[in-house]
Amino acid sequence: MTVLAQQLILGLLIGGLYGLAAAGLSLIFGVMRVLNVAHGELIMLGGYGAFWLAALLGVDPFASLLLVIPGSLLLGAVLYWGLFSFVVRAHEETRIKNSLLIGFGLALALHALAVRLWTADERSIPTAYAGAVLTLGDVSIPLVRLATLTIALVLIGTLQLLLSRWRWGKAIRATAEDWQAALLTGIDVRRAYLLAFALGTGLAGAAGTLVTVAYSVSPSIGLEWTLKALIVVVLAGLGSMFGTFVGGLVLGVAEAASAATFGGPYREIIGLVIFVVVLVVRPRGLFGR
Amino acid sequence: MTATGHERRWVVAILAAFGVLALLPLTGPRDDLLNFVFLILLSITLAESWNVVAGYAGQVNLGHAAFFGLGALITRALWIAGTPIALAMTAGAATATVFALIIGVAAFRLRGAYFAIGTLALGEILRTTVGNVLPEISTLPAATIAGYRLTLRYYLALVLAAASVVTVATLATSRLGLGMRAIREDEEAAEASGVGALALKLTALALSTALAGLAGGLFAYYHISYYPAHPFGPHWTFDALLMTFIGGVGTVQGPVLGAVLYVVLKEYLALRWVDIHLLIFGALFVAIVLSLPGGLVQAAERARAVLGARRRAA
Amino acid sequence: MLEIAGLEAGYGDVRALSGVTLSIAAGEIVALLGPNGAGKSTLLNCIAGLVRPSAGSIRWDGQDLRALDTHLVVERGVALVPEGRRLFSGMTVEENLELGAFASRAWADRRAVLERVYALFPILAERRRTAVQALSGGQQQMVAVGRALMASPRLLMLDEPSLGLAPRLVAAILEALGAINRAGVAVFLVEQNVPAALSLAHRGYLLEGGRIVGEGSGTALMADAHVRRAYLGPLAVRSAGAR
Repeated sequence: MTVLAQQLILGLLIGGLYGLAAAGLSLIFGVMRVLNVAHGELIMLGGYGAFWLAALLGVDPFASLLLVIPGSLLLGAVLYWGLFSFVVRAHEETRIKNSLLIGFGLALALHALAVRLWTADERSIPTAYAGAVLTLGDVSIPLVRLATLTIALVLIGTLQLLLSRWRWGKAIRATAEDWQAALLTGIDVRRAYLLAFALGTGLAGAAGTLVTVAYSVSPSIGLEWTLKALIVVVLAGLGSMFGTFVGGLVLGVAEAASAATFGGPYREIIGLVIFVVVLVVRPRGLFGR
Repeated sequence: MTATGHERRWVVAILAAFGVLALLPLTGPRDDLLNFVFLILLSITLAESWNVVAGYAGQVNLGHAAFFGLGALITRALWIAGTPIALAMTAGAATATVFALIIGVAAFRLRGAYFAIGTLALGEILRTTVGNVLPEISTLPAATIAGYRLTLRYYLALVLAAASVVTVATLATSRLGLGMRAIREDEEAAEASGVGALALKLTALALSTALAGLAGGLFAYYHISYYPAHPFGPHWTFDALLMTFIGGVGTVQGPVLGAVLYVVLKEYLALRWVDIHLLIFGALFVAIVLSLPGGLVQAAERARAVLGARRRAA
Repeated sequence: MLEIAGLEAGYGDVRALSGVTLSIAAGEIVALLGPNGAGKSTLLNCIAGLVRPSAGSIRWDGQDLRALDTHLVVERGVALVPEGRRLFSGMTVEENLELGAFASRAWADRRAVLERVYALFPILAERRRTAVQALSGGQQQMVAVGRALMASPRLLMLDEPSLGLAPRLVAAILEALGAINRAGVAVFLVEQNVPAALSLAHRGYLLEGGRIVGEGSGTALMADAHVRRAYLGPLAVRSAGAR
């Protein structure tokens, strides 16, 4: 029983990161109907950012968020400006399809670049506090992972706050709902897209840092995390950042339950199966409006 | 994109090139040259098979490796157990096709990007399952290795590549192909004028996966040892996608050109920079999606048009 | 202020507007009448910058609007209340209104303009924190008009504001438009409800099949035989008489 409880707790802890990863993807897709399948690679880059800051400059990984997040925001702006801004000129269905293809090419290129620069080896960040655990009865909760869950929640909350209070946050929400009406109220929709893409990428970078400090990073986590993010977005639907976060928790727990029931190797499959079932049962997906 | 006289000329040229390649083993070449050409031929088959659904039915299938993998899995199992290779490969291809038809009915309820990510997920489910069920490396028995003849496999690859090119060429001009083009352009309009979209898409999928399954069977016949989950890996799909798009999706010659360019570049660059070919092709792919959706074939057509105009003006 | 000359626009093979020429001067209320599919919405969308015309010119204070993105047209002082209102359903009345002032020249003044909008539509002030989804059709139309007013436009364009509204509410909207106009804002009104539109407008244009087929003062158009026959048939006469 305690083994199960332990597994479920660990599942919950990683679920928070799934939620954070998905939030960025969901924001971008919700606002501009761009399906950036290179999202996982952006997470990977964020992870490597934290790794190298730690390895070369000794920056504590949690502190490195203060550098990785702005860096990711900037990267997102550059990627939008240099690449995805061309995609948004088409209408919705073409937009989704083209962004998928472009994201695919981008993912391949970024993956190859990462392998070239940093080898395919797995990297992790050793810290003094890495082994610290919180013990509740028979269950032990790794403090680092608990911290990542908390930070993920804080970041989601911050995003939610930005979207509801910040002038451009409201503009982003308006654009997501009806871009033509947004234009008519004087919102520069292209700038809203840029900001949304930057924010989404910023979240990805943060997720990458948290993933690296709690687990590890390697060039191949890209595809894995893109799939996780997609699964959560399909599960949770668009619109609510907290809803996406909860969706991530659900996936994490479902994976843990599946691993406990069918064995470790089948952990990955449950999410994919849920994904396919939801997509097919609701042919427009939860993306449909 | 009709198979115009232009495309027909390409098919003839490609088949002629295959004819020349058939003579290659007679010149007593080194094994690594045969292996190199084998790889190109296998890639051509895989790319053309992917092209059937992408280029003619207009859907991006990101789970293509699943059928390649299934063909390899069944072929390998049967062949090692003693079945003649031709029969084993047919069984492999048949398995892939049956599986495709089963999931196809569900998968084709999805459109566009959702079909793409749905098939990607399906492919990954299969890969993970096979990887868990058969984690051990599959190696040919010593007797088979002793009797291994590369030339035989080389000719099989040649035949398969030729068959895939001919299949796509025939498809392009057939009633089937025209129907597919109609649904690719505008599915609702086509349905309204009596074209059964689902049946056509399933037919395209069946053709595509049968070819992929055969390619998988060839893979199983060719490799001495490999992990059973390896041919299910998404990079086989991605390779096929890159080759087809860069060459020119929806044309007969596009995947051939793309495959040749891809393998040549990959092998050439692998000497100095491993995997850098992916960086180049990834970037090239993005450029093509953004500005040259018809790939190299379109680029060549534009160049020809420009040169033709200049010649006329001169 | 607004001068349109020889405007042509189409979607694919369909020609929506052919050689449209009209003008709107400061302080005027101008009505655009015509049957369904005549191109009235297309014309408004061209001015607003949502649709690119294929030929002709749209001059606002002498400047060509054709080159401008929609949000910049709003900055210049031309605001459109689109057909079907297109409110942001996930937001409250006040949030919707506030967004109307997004254009930078209007943002600084938004509190003051908001109070004026509330003065014009007091019911909205009462329900400022309500989600717009919970409002009635008439109230939603008020929010839509108010949102466009928040941009402090000099020209307010409306696409079928009376659609789906009970006569009492139509009258309320028209009254509000009158007040808006008296405050110095020109109004360009697209309406299928001809008696309502002409009762308010100083001038009107008649658009049929993408072409301007008639023009004149409000009263002149009301009296015009063709207009009466086509748009003031028995049904319309009945409702006009009930006023």
